[in-house]
Amino acid sequence: MKLLTRYNRVNLLTTIVVMLITGIIYYQAISVILINQLEKDLVVEENEIFEYVSLNHHLPQVFKSNDQQITFTEASPGSVRREFINTIYRNYNNVKYVKRHHHRDDEEEFESGRGLITSVTVGDKYYKVLIVVSTVEVEDLIKIIFGITAGVILLLLVTLYTTNRLLLNRLWQPFYDLLKELRFFNVTDNKDIPLGKTNIDEFEELNQAIIGMSTRVKSDYKELKSFTENASHELLTPIAVINSKLDTLIQTDSFSLQQSKLLSDLYSAVSKLTRLNQSLLLLVKIENRLLESNEHIDLKLHIEEMLIQFEEIFLDKELKVSSDLGEKELVTSTYLVDILLNNLLGNAIRHNHPGGEIRIKLTPESLTIQNTGRPEALKQDQIFVRFHKSTESEGSGLGLTISRQICENLKFTLNYGYKAPYHTFTVSF
Amino acid sequence: MKILIIEDEKGLRESIEEYFTEAGNICETASNYQEGLSKVSLYSYDCILLDITLPGGSGIDILKHLKRDNNNDGLLIISAKNSLDDRLEGLDLGADDYLVKPFHLSELRARVTAIIRRKTFNGSNQLVFNEINIDLLAKTVNVNNQPIKLTRKEYALLLYFLANKGKVVSKNAIAEHLWGDGMDLANNFDFIYSHIKNLRKKLIEAGSNDYIQAAYGMGYKFTNP
Repeated sequence: MKLLTRYNRVNLLTTIVVMLITGIIYYQAISVILINQLEKDLVVEENEIFEYVSLNHHLPQVFKSNDQQITFTEASPGSVRREFINTIYRNYNNVKYVKRHHHRDDEEEFESGRGLITSVTVGDKYYKVLIVVSTVEVEDLIKIIFGITAGVILLLLVTLYTTNRLLLNRLWQPFYDLLKELRFFNVTDNKDIPLGKTNIDEFEELNQAIIGMSTRVKSDYKELKSFTENASHELLTPIAVINSKLDTLIQTDSFSLQQSKLLSDLYSAVSKLTRLNQSLLLLVKIENRLLESNEHIDLKLHIEEMLIQFEEIFLDKELKVSSDLGEKELVTSTYLVDILLNNLLGNAIRHNHPGGEIRIKLTPESLTIQNTGRPEALKQDQIFVRFHKSTESEGSGLGLTISRQICENLKFTLNYGYKAPYHTFTVSF
Repeated sequence: MKILIIEDEKGLRESIEEYFTEAGNICETASNYQEGLSKVSLYSYDCILLDITLPGGSGIDILKHLKRDNNNDGLLIISAKNSLDDRLEGLDLGADDYLVKPFHLSELRARVTAIIRRKTFNGSNQLVFNEINIDLLAKTVNVNNQPIKLTRKEYALLLYFLANKGKVVSKNAIAEHLWGDGMDLANNFDFIYSHIKNLRKKLIEAGSNDYIQAAYGMGYKFTNP
């Protein structure tokens, strides 16, 4: 869930609840005030009746009116208790109401009303007086007020929603910008994360924290890299000594079969160590972009030369090599392209079975190298990991890592796929 | 030939010295910058093997010194630094070749031989060993004045053997020489065997002696029988 959605949801929900509660209180308050007003009118009317009676000593004439109805009924003395009641109001032939309620054609209508029961004594007669006023007007008023309030609430909600949306999107823009930059963050890159200016303290703090973190990560990474580089460099001399001593040793007298077997194994181990070390150094150099140059390379010619170089090995492993090479020119480092081709082709040879097949296809868009081999797909996510290799592999486990790193540097992509019986590596230019 | 080895690592220096010392060769050594500089100033060599990182100074400075003096000694840089820039700097300054550590002594020997051959190029580009005669420019091989047809790899192999005659050359060294160290196909030397077999067959069929001997299953030796 997006922050904005979450925020809007909570915000709108609380606004609605608060508005509803306010609405109810508002409604109640207005009702009470208006009813009070009505009751005051009723009391005024009552007083008028009392005054009239005390002045004229007979009951006033009762007029039918829109506003109020007064009825007098004789009652036994003292039986009437003065009180306000909710009652109904009988509306006679009221044009306004007929018009409004035109679906009803009987002329008598009942509306809710507020009444005051009181008593008056005229001479020796005791009368119960009922004064009723229609509350329809009041209710209409309340309805209008309520409608306006509801409208305001709705308007408020819409405004809140849209402003929140606009404002939050704007406010969070630095955050989204930062997120985008972080997504492209690469420890091997030498450039810093470009951070937009913001005058919001929180984002400024976040920016600072991220700058600090990336600097730390980069310096740690650099340290690690220079450690690898130094360690590999330091290893070169002892390896060179071992190598030269072995070369010297085999010049001495004759060896037994067992001794020569031991020496062969030593040679193999040393050459493996050498290659491993060279691969590590190479990887560091590629990552540091120390091997970049702009040479024009005729890739077709390059691959053809490489195929000639590997000819004996193809023959030896009885590999069937077919190539479909189109024209393609690259402007980059010959050295890197050589390593890339060497690694990919080397893999296609090494992981092939005798009598297998290698297919090479070069188009202006991509270079595809397919080979037969173990009839199962390799794990996509693992093959490019350092030192990951199949159990029977004699390689350093760095070949594909180097290949991918080279592709990254040259802005190519390297992908693997398996479709029986071919393992396919594709370099997309 | 007279060779100077300027290398601070004792083990390596001694191995190289031992490998190059034989009848007709004089090997001198220097273990630091000062010693190296004084030797190259005083004497003349056919080839100088120069390490870049030396105690007391940089091999590059010795190289510059030599070139300032118009010294025409052959010069091969042996360095642990395998960067294109270092290599280019060395070669630009006038070094004849650049070899990266670690290397096989047979490879070093082949490179040194090639340098000396180029330096002492007396109007002749013929390399003669008994009945075998190689034209280095035309890259043709004659045995008893009869041309034999060698593939590129076989030709390279023959030159490599001749530079290391009398020495046991390991299969690893041969593989690296022929395919470069980028070719990572350890423990599979069958393809070397077939090249050597073919070369040997062609030489013998043309009437040459059988010079190539297998050495205890780990290498080969090109030697006068």
